[in-house]
Amino acid sequence: MGLRDTKLMAHLLRRAGFGATHIELEDYLQKGYEATVESLLYPTDSDHMPEDIIRRYHVDQSELRQYDAAAANWMYRMITSKSPLEEKIALFWHSLFATGYSKLNQARSLLNQIDMFRQNGLGRFDTLLLELSRDPAMIIWLDNDQNHRDAINENYGRELLELFSMGIGNYTEEDIKECARAFTGWTLGNVEYMAMRASKDSIWPYGRIAWHFGYRPEDHDDGEKTFLGETGNFNGEDIIDIISKNDASARFVATRLFQFFAADEIDDEGEKVVEKMMESYFESGYEIRSIIRTLFNSDYFKSGKARYARVKCPVEQVIGTIRLAGSYQKPDLGVNEVASQAFYMGQGLLIPPTVEGWHEGAEWIDSGALVERVNFAANELRKTKESGVRSIIDRMSVQNGHALTPNEIVDLSLDLLGSVDVGENTRTALVQHVREKGDVDLRNTSPGDESERRVGELLSLIASSPEFQMA
Amino acid sequence: MQLLQISNVVRRQNKLTTTRTATDFLVYDRTLGVAAMEFRGFYYPVDLAINKEGRIYGLNRSHEGDPRGVRICMFDYDSNYFGAFGSVGEEDGQFTWATSIAIDREGLVYVSDEYTDRISIFDSEGNYLRKWGEHGDMPGQIDGPASMAFDNDDNLLISDHRNNRIQKFTKDGRYVSSFGKEGEGDGEFNLPWGVTVSSSGDLYVVDWRNDRIQRFTSDGEFKSKYCESGSDEGQLNRPASVAVDKSGHMYVADMGNDRVQVFDPDGGFVMTLEGQATVSPWAQEFLDASPTEASARYESDLRVALNARTGGTYEKRSHIEHLFWAPISVKLDLEGKIYVTDRNRHRVQVYRRV
Repeated sequence: MGLRDTKLMAHLLRRAGFGATHIELEDYLQKGYEATVESLLYPTDSDHMPEDIIRRYHVDQSELRQYDAAAANWMYRMITSKSPLEEKIALFWHSLFATGYSKLNQARSLLNQIDMFRQNGLGRFDTLLLELSRDPAMIIWLDNDQNHRDAINENYGRELLELFSMGIGNYTEEDIKECARAFTGWTLGNVEYMAMRASKDSIWPYGRIAWHFGYRPEDHDDGEKTFLGETGNFNGEDIIDIISKNDASARFVATRLFQFFAADEIDDEGEKVVEKMMESYFESGYEIRSIIRTLFNSDYFKSGKARYARVKCPVEQVIGTIRLAGSYQKPDLGVNEVASQAFYMGQGLLIPPTVEGWHEGAEWIDSGALVERVNFAANELRKTKESGVRSIIDRMSVQNGHALTPNEIVDLSLDLLGSVDVGENTRTALVQHVREKGDVDLRNTSPGDESERRVGELLSLIASSPEFQMA
Repeated sequence: MQLLQISNVVRRQNKLTTTRTATDFLVYDRTLGVAAMEFRGFYYPVDLAINKEGRIYGLNRSHEGDPRGVRICMFDYDSNYFGAFGSVGEEDGQFTWATSIAIDREGLVYVSDEYTDRISIFDSEGNYLRKWGEHGDMPGQIDGPASMAFDNDDNLLISDHRNNRIQKFTKDGRYVSSFGKEGEGDGEFNLPWGVTVSSSGDLYVVDWRNDRIQRFTSDGEFKSKYCESGSDEGQLNRPASVAVDKSGHMYVADMGNDRVQVFDPDGGFVMTLEGQATVSPWAQEFLDASPTEASARYESDLRVALNARTGGTYEKRSHIEHLFWAPISVKLDLEGKIYVTDRNRHRVQVYRRV
């Protein structure tokens, strides 16, 4: 396996996952690129920190009443999952179908929605939209509990078309009304009591009661509707069928997937890939997995154009760094704070700013967010006792039978941090920093020794580089 | 007048749900407590202890990172409230990850903390007295005190769970002895949790990740083991606590299955408790003060059956309020009544022998 293969695999794992450690990269390289893509698309190893362990120590993650506990629970899953694309696609749909705690006061239902994304996020788009329309958190978030046969509420119908499937310009105001009519009666069980508890943030008398979907046929408008040119006595399922077969939906889904997994900006070459992805959408029967496969196996994705062409979102930055450092592999006080770190950088899991989600790409980085990103990553990779950093130091210590020169240790560090590419200016600065104190001798060292501390410092500097902010 | 009507409605619900169990071995008695972040009530309760006078000390672990909630709430079977003590932190009298509570013959209250690895001691009114405990894996050091029980000599047994052993200490923290190591064999443990002492002096240990109960002599010699992994009758899934009555019957908080199971002295299955919570007096006070919420509650079907696709028992319990959800501790009072700490529902359900 050559350096080129390693760089390509590292690129794939930064996009399909949260980056890979040098040990993980070696395993993936043994498998080969296409086989790795397939294994990511069909996650069979759902190994992650067991829920029984989490619930024993983090009692708040057992009830999942508040968003910080739920966000921490998801963080554990992302940190320890052996199926990174399963979590990454859930993050993608959470960003697109952004549902927030602020109105719900029901974190558990939000996490149930995330689990629904895990289960359906790589499957058929129509199935996903149907599950989304039945999702209790979404129903409350976009007021479909107030969408009645005799008094429609257009909120969900409007966002379903504008933000979740087709995009503005592909439907009329009348289509929105007809869509809303079709979803009347789609609500929660015990909706009056549940909505009241949500609005009052009531935990009394015995904590939250989780929500479940409820259909009220007596509140459903069964009359004739005309939607996107088709007429019938449509219910919500019919509306989703019509949406899913529309070209605008194919373009919408392909474009958003391209921007999340390939590049923030779409150039002419990227546009050709998007069109191929749209073909996969229809050929596969709207299957997300097929669209992503087309992207990952495209020449564009494998080329240099797609490398480091996306700004890491805060969750990618936090999870990727923790996975490299090897921390939080066991329940630990402070995992709620890890979730908060992503919030400080601008992306609070389960608390998106609006239904439109987060403004992504270059907007992730302003001066305040950059300081948070750099500080967090630098602090994590300075932890020379954590298993991931130890693994890097151990590998360095057996590379050569002599003290490592500044050039050697910089190149080794970049390689062992998941094959990170940096520009010449960055590399020169890193080498110069090491050179100030001379070669690094890692023979017979232990955590806390000066030479190991210097490695931690170098890893921290790499984490502070502009290149480390990119995926 | 409206308040009175709602109270009567809710009380009528209480009556309807107080049913006898199929075997008539135990009957549901009552529910104690209400969710509350401060003072009277519970916030992720993990254990309780009852003194000779019938005062109950309910230990609340609380939401991580929330300065409120961590406390010991003092109350009794009749829902009289006597105050609260303790708070979050690492100073004297504070807790980070509180796990268990026990009372010695003098009535002093011991609280374990699996984060700081120490035991804090209070008088019966909650005044802080002292602490002991040191982190480590050497004899006498502790790594994760998960549960405590006093033996018949008033020595303190501690489930030292990350060291996979049971350690015995004098009340002032002097190491006496220990037994157990990591494993699946007889006398071996995988993250043990609850520990209790029967009237005969035998020790019962909940072997959490081996899904079984092990029984030992007072000297730590293995005697027998009960149950296996699973969710059928007589099987356990991540049990947390065991209590043993005078006749030798075992009451096991089968937390992963969200139920309490009762076994005869030889380990034979007797019955399962699923939880039958009703509106406690403290909960009733809340509903009386919130008539619109109480009215909406009454109009709801809180026993609604769920589509099975949404998950197993854990998911089900999050939806159905009267059932146990993460029953974490089982304790007996002097009359043999059974107190189940229902962690995720912030309450205690009480059962009694027929």
